[in-house]
Amino acid sequence: MSDTLTQLEAADFINRSFKPLPRSYGDALLAAAHNDPRIVALCADLVTPTETDRFRDELPDRFHNVGIAEANMIGMAGGMARSGEIPFCHSFCAFITKRVLDQITMQAAYPNLPVKIVGFLPGVATLLGVSHQAIEDVAIMRAVPNMAIFEPSGPEYHAAMVKLALDWDGPAYLRMKRPETTPDAIEPQSLEIGKGVIRREGRDLTIISAGLCVSEALQAAHTLAVEGVEARVVDMASLKPIDQGLILESAASTGAIVTAENHSIIGGLGSAVAEVLMDKGVGLPFKRVGIQDRFCEGGTTPYLMNKFDLDAVAIAKAARGVMQKKKG
Amino acid sequence: MNAKHNVKDLESIATRLRLHVVDMVAPSGQGYVQQGLGAADIFTSLYFAEATMDPTNPEWPDRDRIFLTTAHNTAIFYATLAERGFFPVDDLKTYVTDGSTLEINSSERMGPFVEATCGSLGQGLSVAIGCAIAAKRQGRASRFYVIVGDGEMQEGQIWEAAMLAGARGLDNLCFIVDYNFVQSEGPMDLVMSLDPLMDKMESFGFACQEVDGNDLSALLSAYDVARETKGKPSFIKANTLMGKGVESLEGLMFHQLRFPPEVASSARAELEAQL
Repeated sequence: MSDTLTQLEAADFINRSFKPLPRSYGDALLAAAHNDPRIVALCADLVTPTETDRFRDELPDRFHNVGIAEANMIGMAGGMARSGEIPFCHSFCAFITKRVLDQITMQAAYPNLPVKIVGFLPGVATLLGVSHQAIEDVAIMRAVPNMAIFEPSGPEYHAAMVKLALDWDGPAYLRMKRPETTPDAIEPQSLEIGKGVIRREGRDLTIISAGLCVSEALQAAHTLAVEGVEARVVDMASLKPIDQGLILESAASTGAIVTAENHSIIGGLGSAVAEVLMDKGVGLPFKRVGIQDRFCEGGTTPYLMNKFDLDAVAIAKAARGVMQKKKG
Repeated sequence: MNAKHNVKDLESIATRLRLHVVDMVAPSGQGYVQQGLGAADIFTSLYFAEATMDPTNPEWPDRDRIFLTTAHNTAIFYATLAERGFFPVDDLKTYVTDGSTLEINSSERMGPFVEATCGSLGQGLSVAIGCAIAAKRQGRASRFYVIVGDGEMQEGQIWEAAMLAGARGLDNLCFIVDYNFVQSEGPMDLVMSLDPLMDKMESFGFACQEVDGNDLSALLSAYDVARETKGKPSFIKANTLMGKGVESLEGLMFHQLRFPPEVASSARAELEAQL
């Protein structure tokens, strides 16, 4: 057999990349585990795609590949957390939320245990098709008491995700995306539980975004600036608890809000922002960019972000719409 | 058999627990009375003989842990916990009354002696496995006992968990099925037979024993064998008789039973005569 034929890593298949992929999350988790002996990792047979291969190799007695059995994994994590450990459970977003919601609620959330639920392939971002897409996971997990939800805009925040998960005493859901290439070095602002980050200032409207939509929102803001509209862009990496103060201040100071998320428009970031506004009696031009209550399909991420109107073009269009209402 | 336990003493404890079950279910006239009577010997043997625990320090990290995953079988569970000293026996009077923590399905809001909240069937074995793996890593000698219902074994998660326990050789785990042969809609054979259950569990990597679940000596011997088994988790099929100890209720194979006051008082008299 030729030496050039090697095993195709699952992650390569998923990302259509043959280069070694960065492990910005996995390395951060491993570093945290070296510092805190309570941290253990569980995985339902998706080790490389969840960046936990180095953890497996370096800390084998603290790593458990439980096989393709997510329900058992969450229950086991509950038992480990009851025994003083901090288990991080890994699979794809679709399987580690929707498939095991009962186990999460009863064995992690109700007992308020430090079980960390780590999903990859958020929203439409996968070639693998509708079975592997989680477009309603934030809505579901947001409704679970004691649960925190954090989503990074990119790999520059992956280490911060591990820190947030550990800073939150109870169960937390991390909605991760494996980076396909090593990211440009940017200066990440620190993340805090319950705090959004203003990634761009603007006076005319606010685009509140999360995950993959943050960079799209920044691009949209650039387009809008050329048209003379200055958009503030908020990265709401802490989806729950959400930054109510920043939402209300943005409403007051910019007078119009667009939300943008790689998720259904039902129950996710857009809903969360609307709830905050309505509870305070704030009415203003408002539009949710997200998946319009429909199922999607597999494809490359840029193709899907475009097809399902989650990209900069769609966000800019929504922004123009709210600006028109604001003026009218 | 564990020589330090006097089976006669355990039998009278089991009868006292059965009396509590009758007294707890009688006021509402409905509930899991025959299941409680049937499982009384499993609870007595585990809590009063086999397991190491400290009711004054229920969170003691080196304790043995017992998981009741059929969390609705609470009359016997609460009676056991109270008699074992985890909370006052007098609290049993609040069973299934508004505001009481003694709910139909047990939850850990009662205290840490409820090792997990298991009313949603099929989950407790996984939690026990997580504890068992953690204990091994932490070098603890604790053992983990899981009381599972027979009907509950139809849940898929049980088999995910059993597969892992067998594959990892978790010899600190003892999986006990309270095999009373009845589930919500009737006899197990009519709904979904588990047979051949022993073969199934054997093939999943368990060291299997089948015992009369109403024979305290047999149960204690089975725990001894389980404790001495190395490299494999243990499975004990404990065949129990619903209503055991009250002649008029023995073998009444209903998941839910109407339990009118006159039946309750004759049951009480029968049990008192055994003390």
